[in-house]
Amino acid sequence: MFYITIGFRNILKHWRRSLFTATAVGAGFSAISLFAGYIHYVYYGLTLQAVRGEGLAHLTIARHGFFDNASLNPEDNLLSNEDVTHLGELLNKQPETVTWTPRLAVSGLMTNGHTSTIFIAEGMDPLREALIRGRFRLDRGGILDPKFPNGICVSSGLAKLLNLTPSSRATLFTNTSTGQANAIDVDVHSTYDTGVAATNDKSLRIPIDMARRLYDVEGADRIRLLLKDESQVEPVRTRLTALFKTENLALDIRDWKQLSAFYRQVKSLFDTIFSFIFSIVAIVVIMSVVNTMSMTVVERTREIGTLRALGMKRGQIIALFSVESLLLAAVGVSVGAVITLMVAFIVNSLGLSYVPPSSSDRVPLMVDILPGTMVLTFFLLAFLTSLAALFPASGASRKGIVDALGHV
Amino acid sequence: MSLVECRGISKNYKLGETLVPALSDVSINIEKGEFVAVWGPSGSGKTSLLNLVGLLDTPSAGQLKIAGETISTQDDSSLAVLRNKLIGFVFQNFNLIAVLSALENVMLPLQIRGESPAQARDKAVSKLDAVGLATLYKSRPDQMSGGQRQRVAIARALVTDPAIVLADEPTANLDSVTSDQILALMRDLNQKQNVTFVFSTHDPRLLASVSRKIRLQDGQITPEENS
Repeated sequence: MFYITIGFRNILKHWRRSLFTATAVGAGFSAISLFAGYIHYVYYGLTLQAVRGEGLAHLTIARHGFFDNASLNPEDNLLSNEDVTHLGELLNKQPETVTWTPRLAVSGLMTNGHTSTIFIAEGMDPLREALIRGRFRLDRGGILDPKFPNGICVSSGLAKLLNLTPSSRATLFTNTSTGQANAIDVDVHSTYDTGVAATNDKSLRIPIDMARRLYDVEGADRIRLLLKDESQVEPVRTRLTALFKTENLALDIRDWKQLSAFYRQVKSLFDTIFSFIFSIVAIVVIMSVVNTMSMTVVERTREIGTLRALGMKRGQIIALFSVESLLLAAVGVSVGAVITLMVAFIVNSLGLSYVPPSSSDRVPLMVDILPGTMVLTFFLLAFLTSLAALFPASGASRKGIVDALGHV
Repeated sequence: MSLVECRGISKNYKLGETLVPALSDVSINIEKGEFVAVWGPSGSGKTSLLNLVGLLDTPSAGQLKIAGETISTQDDSSLAVLRNKLIGFVFQNFNLIAVLSALENVMLPLQIRGESPAQARDKAVSKLDAVGLATLYKSRPDQMSGGQRQRVAIARALVTDPAIVLADEPTANLDSVTSDQILALMRDLNQKQNVTFVFSTHDPRLLASVSRKIRLQDGQITPEENS
C-alpha cells in the first residue's frame, strides 16, 4: 500500500512532468483504441459485404477439385440434382443452418444489340438468395424476382457500359457444356452495386434455371450455406467434413474468408498498419516513461539510499518505481479512454463517409468502442511502462547505499 | 557477547588507480545500553566506521559482528533484513521521505518489513508521542522545523526497537537550543529505555554528554579513547 502512496504523491509532486508523460501514454492509448475501433468496424463491414452483399454466405460446398480448376472444366465439377437434394437434406439437419442455396456460375458475352462485353453471372435461387442477402437487398438492390424467369440483375458498371436500365433487353451468349454456342434473351430487372470495383463492371445475377439453360446442364456447381452466427463456421465445417468422409462424398468446403480475396487483402493491410502504429506508440510510451523515471530516480537517489538504509531490498526499490510507473500509465490510460470515447462519439455523430480503395461505393466512417481491446491495451501499456521503469530502477537499486546517501 | 564486535576492520576506497585507506585495523566492542561518540577530525574515518557498523558498507578486511550476527557471510538481501531489524539511523540531513507525513515516515521501516498498516500506525504513534510530536502526525517534512524533523527521524529510528541507533552528526544542522533538546531526548531514551546510541560528531556539547568517546585519527583508534 505504501508503494502506491509514495508513487501517487510523487506523481502529484512533479505534476508537470507527470502530465507530459501521462499525455504521451494517453495519446498512445487513444491512437491504438481508435484505430482498433475503426478497423473493427471496417472488418465488420467487409464481413457483411462478403457474406451478405456478395452472397458468399458462411460456407461453400463443391465437388473436390472445383475450387482449384473449375474454370478449366466446369462440367466435370457439377453436382447433380440428386447430389444437391441429398446435400440439402444433410445441411437441413444441422442446427446452425439458416438456409442453403445452389449456385451455378456462367460466363460469356452480353450484348445490347450494338455493343458486347464479357459477363460473369451467378445463377441462383431468387427466394433463398434473398435470405442470404438479408438487409443488403434493401440498400443495394440486385434481387431477382421469381415471378420473372427471364429477369436478371445487372451490376451498375456493366449496365453503364451497355447503356442498360431496368426494363431494357439484352442477350447473353455462352458455350454449353458440350461446346455449342447458346444464347438467351433477357430482361434487365434491376441494377445493383457489387461494392467491389473489380467486379462491378462484369457481374450478373441470373436465375439458376437460366444458368442451367445457358450451360445446358442440370444441378449446380456449388452450394452456399448460411449459418446463424460467424462463430459457428469452424465447428460446422469440421462436422460436415467428417460427415462427407463417412458418406464417401468427394466434396470440399471453403469458408467465406478463403473465397474473399478482397477481405483477406484488406485485413492483411490493416493488420500490418495496426502493428506498425502499435510499435510506434509502444516506442514513444517506453521512451517517455524511461525519460521520466530516469529523471525521477536521479532526483530521488538520496531517498533510495535512505530506503535501503531502512531495510528495503533491491527488489522492493524496483517494485516501488514500477508501481509509480504503473500509476502513471493508469492516469494516462484514463485520460486516453476519455479522449477515445469523445473522439469516437464525435466521429460517429458526424456521419462521415468515404470511398475505400478498390471499392465502388461510399462507406460510413465509424469507430467502434471495444472495451475488450481497451482493457487489453491498458494491460499491454501497463506492462510496457513497468518494463520501462525497470531499467532506471534496477540501476538505482544497485547503487551503493553510501554513495546514494551522499548524492547531492 | 558485545552488541558490536569489530576485529581488525579495514576499509579502503578506490580513487582512480589509488587505494585510499579510510580505516586501518580497527577493533572495538560496543555494549548494550552504551551512549558512545565517535569523534575526530574530518577524514579521520568516523563516517566510514558508522557506515560499516550500520551495514551500509562492507569492510575490506576484518570481522564484524552485530548482535551476534557475522556480517561478512550475509548477502545483500540478508543485510537489508538485518538493517531493518537491528539498526536505527538518524541522519545529519534527517533524510525523511518528502511526500510522506511524520506518521507515515515513522511507519515506513515497519511497513518495509511487512507489518500491517494498523500495527505500524499504533507503534509509530507511540514513538511520535515519545519524542514529543503528538500534534504533528499529519505534517509533511517541509511543514516542520529542523528540530521537529530530527525528532521524526529519531522516532523512525526507534520504531523497530533496534539493537542500536546510529546517528551521523545528528546536531550538525540544528541551532544550539534545538541541539540541546535533541541531545536531551536521546540521552533520556538511552537512560530510560536502555537504547544504545552511537554518534559521529564534532559537537562539543554532545561529546560532553556521552559516556564513552572513541577518537579516530587517520583511520585508526587513538589511545585517547576513554570511557
